[in-house]
Amino acid sequence: MTPSKSACITPLQAVRDAVNQVDFNRFRFWFQAIGFVLFVYGGYLAIDLGSRLPFFSCGYNQEGRGGVCYLLPLQHQLGRSWPTLFSAASLAILTGFLVFAAWFIVLNKGWCGFICPLGTLQDWITALRRRLGIRYARYSQGQFAQLTRIKYILLALTILIPLGIGGGWFSRDMSPPFCLICPARMILPIFTGDFSQFTIDFSSKTAMFMTALGMAVTGLFLIGSFVKKRFFCFFCPMSALHYLISRPALLKLKKDGDKCTRCGDCYRVCDMEIKEIADDIKTTDIMTDDCTLCLKCVASCPEPGALKATFVGIPIFESTEAGFIKRMTREHAP
Amino acid sequence: MKKAGSALALFALLAATNISAQPTEEQRAQWRAMREARGGEPAGPRPPEGATQEEKRVFYQKRAAERAQAEAVPAGSEHSAHAGQAPTERKAEGSGKTGKPAVAPTPTFAGTAPEQTRGGGAARPGGGAGGMGARGGGALWLSDSPPSRGDGPPRAGMGAMGGMNMGGERSGPPVKRLWLRAGTDPQKSGFAREDAEAPAETLLVRPQGSLAGEPLPPPEEGRKNLSFEMPVQGYYRLYVTTRKLQGDTLNVAVAKAEVSNFSHGGDEEERSQALVAPRVLESAPIEIVREKLPNEKMFFQLKSGEHQAFVVLQKGLPLQGARVRFVSHEGWTKEAVSDGQGRTSFQVVRDYFPPWDDFRKRFKATYLVIAEANAAEAGRHKDQPYGSVRYQATLAGSYYPSPDDYRSHAWGLGVSLLIVILCGIAVYLYRRRRTRPFREVRLDDAE
Amino acid sequence: MTTIPIHPAGKPAYNLSRQAREAEIVLDHITDDFDGNPAAMQYFYDLFRRVYIQGEALAHEGKLIGTTCIQAPDELIYAMGGTPVRLCNGSYHYDQIGADFMPAKSCSLVKATLGMLHADNPIPRIGKPDLIVNPTTCDQKKKASAMIEDMGYAVYDLEMPNVKDSEEARLYWQRSVRQFAQKLRQVTGRKLTKKNLKAAMARTSRAQAAFRTLHNFRKASPALMLGKDVFLVTNAFFFDDIERWIAAVEKLNAELAQRQADGYQAAQRRAPRILFTGSPPVFPNLKLPLLIEEAGGVVVADETCSANRMLYDMTAVDEWLLHDMVDGLADKYLKPCTCPIFTRNDDRRRRLLELAASFGVDGVVYQAFAGCQVYEMEQKSVAAALNAKGIAMLYIETDYSPDDHGQLTTRIEAFLESIKTRKRKRA
Repeated sequence: MTPSKSACITPLQAVRDAVNQVDFNRFRFWFQAIGFVLFVYGGYLAIDLGSRLPFFSCGYNQEGRGGVCYLLPLQHQLGRSWPTLFSAASLAILTGFLVFAAWFIVLNKGWCGFICPLGTLQDWITALRRRLGIRYARYSQGQFAQLTRIKYILLALTILIPLGIGGGWFSRDMSPPFCLICPARMILPIFTGDFSQFTIDFSSKTAMFMTALGMAVTGLFLIGSFVKKRFFCFFCPMSALHYLISRPALLKLKKDGDKCTRCGDCYRVCDMEIKEIADDIKTTDIMTDDCTLCLKCVASCPEPGALKATFVGIPIFESTEAGFIKRMTREHAP
Repeated sequence: MKKAGSALALFALLAATNISAQPTEEQRAQWRAMREARGGEPAGPRPPEGATQEEKRVFYQKRAAERAQAEAVPAGSEHSAHAGQAPTERKAEGSGKTGKPAVAPTPTFAGTAPEQTRGGGAARPGGGAGGMGARGGGALWLSDSPPSRGDGPPRAGMGAMGGMNMGGERSGPPVKRLWLRAGTDPQKSGFAREDAEAPAETLLVRPQGSLAGEPLPPPEEGRKNLSFEMPVQGYYRLYVTTRKLQGDTLNVAVAKAEVSNFSHGGDEEERSQALVAPRVLESAPIEIVREKLPNEKMFFQLKSGEHQAFVVLQKGLPLQGARVRFVSHEGWTKEAVSDGQGRTSFQVVRDYFPPWDDFRKRFKATYLVIAEANAAEAGRHKDQPYGSVRYQATLAGSYYPSPDDYRSHAWGLGVSLLIVILCGIAVYLYRRRRTRPFREVRLDDAE
Repeated sequence: MTTIPIHPAGKPAYNLSRQAREAEIVLDHITDDFDGNPAAMQYFYDLFRRVYIQGEALAHEGKLIGTTCIQAPDELIYAMGGTPVRLCNGSYHYDQIGADFMPAKSCSLVKATLGMLHADNPIPRIGKPDLIVNPTTCDQKKKASAMIEDMGYAVYDLEMPNVKDSEEARLYWQRSVRQFAQKLRQVTGRKLTKKNLKAAMARTSRAQAAFRTLHNFRKASPALMLGKDVFLVTNAFFFDDIERWIAAVEKLNAELAQRQADGYQAAQRRAPRILFTGSPPVFPNLKLPLLIEEAGGVVVADETCSANRMLYDMTAVDEWLLHDMVDGLADKYLKPCTCPIFTRNDDRRRRLLELAASFGVDGVVYQAFAGCQVYEMEQKSVAAALNAKGIAMLYIETDYSPDDHGQLTTRIEAFLESIKTRKRKRA
């Protein structure tokens, strides 16, 4: 925002300035809180947005869920016996995927950064740690490069194991494999007072192993997200699936490398430790596979127009100097 | 300190949760005792591993015949084992029906399923022997599985998703098949035989069809099940009514089945309509309606240990004083009398105690509810006068093992707590003695 | 040794040191020979007159920490109750004294700094620093370390990588900054806390915000103020009390806002807009900016470590805990830095192009102090990058000596003339 332009502010420009100078962290906190209530308690308000949602609105939260994470029906559908799976009936899998993709395309990975209840929960755990004055952990670049692959491996297993179940190679007690180890299954129902998933199933060896693994992952999730920001998102197969279909998404994170000073402010605030956001000055579509599109980087960028979120090509939230200074001043206040 | 905090929270969680574990030794003993009381292995011996189809058939026929003989002797004893659950045999009805000449598998329900049909036929030799199930009488009820060949309950419906149909599983609307069976034991009831004097009237009420129902076309030639398509979501109710005059008394029996057909991702409106639609047939002379549980949704599974209430209705109005009998999968019975609202409630007894290695959490057990009431109503039936009416209604349903039987909160919490503590300690120690290059200088946030 | 005054001073000849006289000549030139100096600049004119000419002693709070480079994090010093003062000196007089320590053809700035530290009664009268922080940037500053120590000062070498792109360098620098924080604790006897660091960062941040506003006013065309005044403003940041400095800059900004509303022109509409880069102009060595503006150009932006690079980049912090704040500061001091001592200069070229674009720049003047090899070596690649975008660049190798005054005037006038011609042709 140059002073020379300030003389002729149009109403649209005024709205844009207001948006760009928003107290972003607070806005996001409340947005996430509403999303959390909607998808963890929405069921009580008779909200049901279907079972093709591109984030962890856990289906095991029977009472409160406002919709169901797509990974649950996907794994069930892929787990059909092969004759059914390869029949015309499986067109439903395709249509289901299209519905999922339609949901996804709207917010892109913004579902992760703004809506996903498990993501929100991790942010709350992070806030708790911050209040306790305990420092966060960071991966080294080497660790990052290795760990970032895990989500693709998990996605492959999430698809292949149900196929194996349908083919009769694995026990049905392994179904749905990812849900069984996903911490959301254990943790989100707790918010509606349902502790039934917080158990180990002794009915068969497979069930016992899978539920024990699930509980172990839950333990890891709790401690992991306490010391590491967005610990689980790094390994989330949904995140991997998102990235694979993110090209046509409407919400985009754009970077203008020419305006970037590579000061690293965006990298500093990035929960996912994505270095490209600061160092990559060539890519304009800067969202990487680990990104949760939380837009904290945009809020913390002092270079006007260097980073922006666009929706169908229209900038909706842009980095500005005035916005940066306003937000920082607010944070500096004791 | 932070770890202590989270550990405390989890302990509190542990304390607050009711903890169940594996079946205890006591429960196993109970199961053994029960097996003895029933006079034999419920599962029975199995045919040899490598048996051919023909060998297996012979094996099952032979075994079913043996069992039928064995059960004919202590007739009624199977309902007497449990203290406090007094057996209530209705002798008059039973004897009345035994008098009939035993007819071999009826033409109407003549089957193509060779094993089961013939097995069933062989199990009930002409003399009408064979316990409740084979008495040729007993209560008529609608089952979603044919009489079993005797090695445990059928794994009906391939309950792959624990009853959750995730949508679009088959091409075309799903077809439901029901079998009319006679007897008071869910496992042992045989096929109902056709009675020329009391033809079965069928009435199917579809979710979006007429509330009065419509007759179901008779089974196709060579089939013995009643089948219908379920193109829309909702509850399908099939009523099979028989009327038969016996001396001065008219016996009116209504066998009812309620089939829920829901799928994920189906038509939203259709589903919500179905969930609130009435489940009562106003023209039914007598009817049992399963009362929905407060938390019941589309994909409902009754679990053992839960309470299930039933309402007995006559022409859509509550019937007080009806004798209602609940028969569990293994044959345990309990009787109660309906109250002013026609309501009775039973706790679904846990009666599934296999050796732990054979335990299946998706074991589908069948219960049977029989309601009976007498009324001094006079009238004429087929030009014969009668002075009283005996009403009988049946409803079968299924239930599953309670998760509490095989899921353990204590272990679940234990494992996660263990990981939390181990990882917490690991992180703490790592941070304390961290010597990673460039990280050895620590900044102290304490003020 | 003779000092040739840039302009004969018509001032009373009271007894001035040669340094003060040099300063006075330049300051008088700045104040008197240009039209339309903003009224709010009077604070800075007075400040320089008091400190550089009248030799007024500078007060400071807590320990005085001298820094020889912008890479030393001021925020840490303020947080622990110290006062940072930038020692980089622009006086030809001290340059000559410092020549005893360094080879003849070496950086005037380093020599002048050494000369000032060596002098018995140096101006500005900052007092003896309790610690001199010397980031290990260019070779000449590195080698100055031991010499300063020999003069009897406590010196701390703040280890700085000469690569900034690698993760290793980043971590290495973060460690250096953490170690520096520990050293400061030893010197000041105060502990670094969340609270005092946050307060220090808030203060620096306000100074940066004030600077950025000033910076943005320079985008206006025609110019609202001349570049020579801006250099004076940023030079004052070296030693002035930060709160007073912020207040003065904000006052200046208010005046510029008024000027903008009034449609004021500090330079001709057609005046060539110049982007200044390279070796830093430090008062009283504002030789080149003054020559440009005398010749009818206007310096609208700069990319030097005595102005823009020192105050432009701001620090973001995610969690207001020491580990994040200190590492964040470290990143801010390393990552966006466009100093030529680093192996690659892509960021500097990009920065120059971005400044040229957003400030409507017509030409770039690249100053390299004789002996500053890194700037000398980078000029070709910078010129190529600018020329590719159609921006003319004048490369000038010079030092603090006024000897080349005439020659430079000719070159600059010719450069500006060529720009004007090109502009006219384009228009």
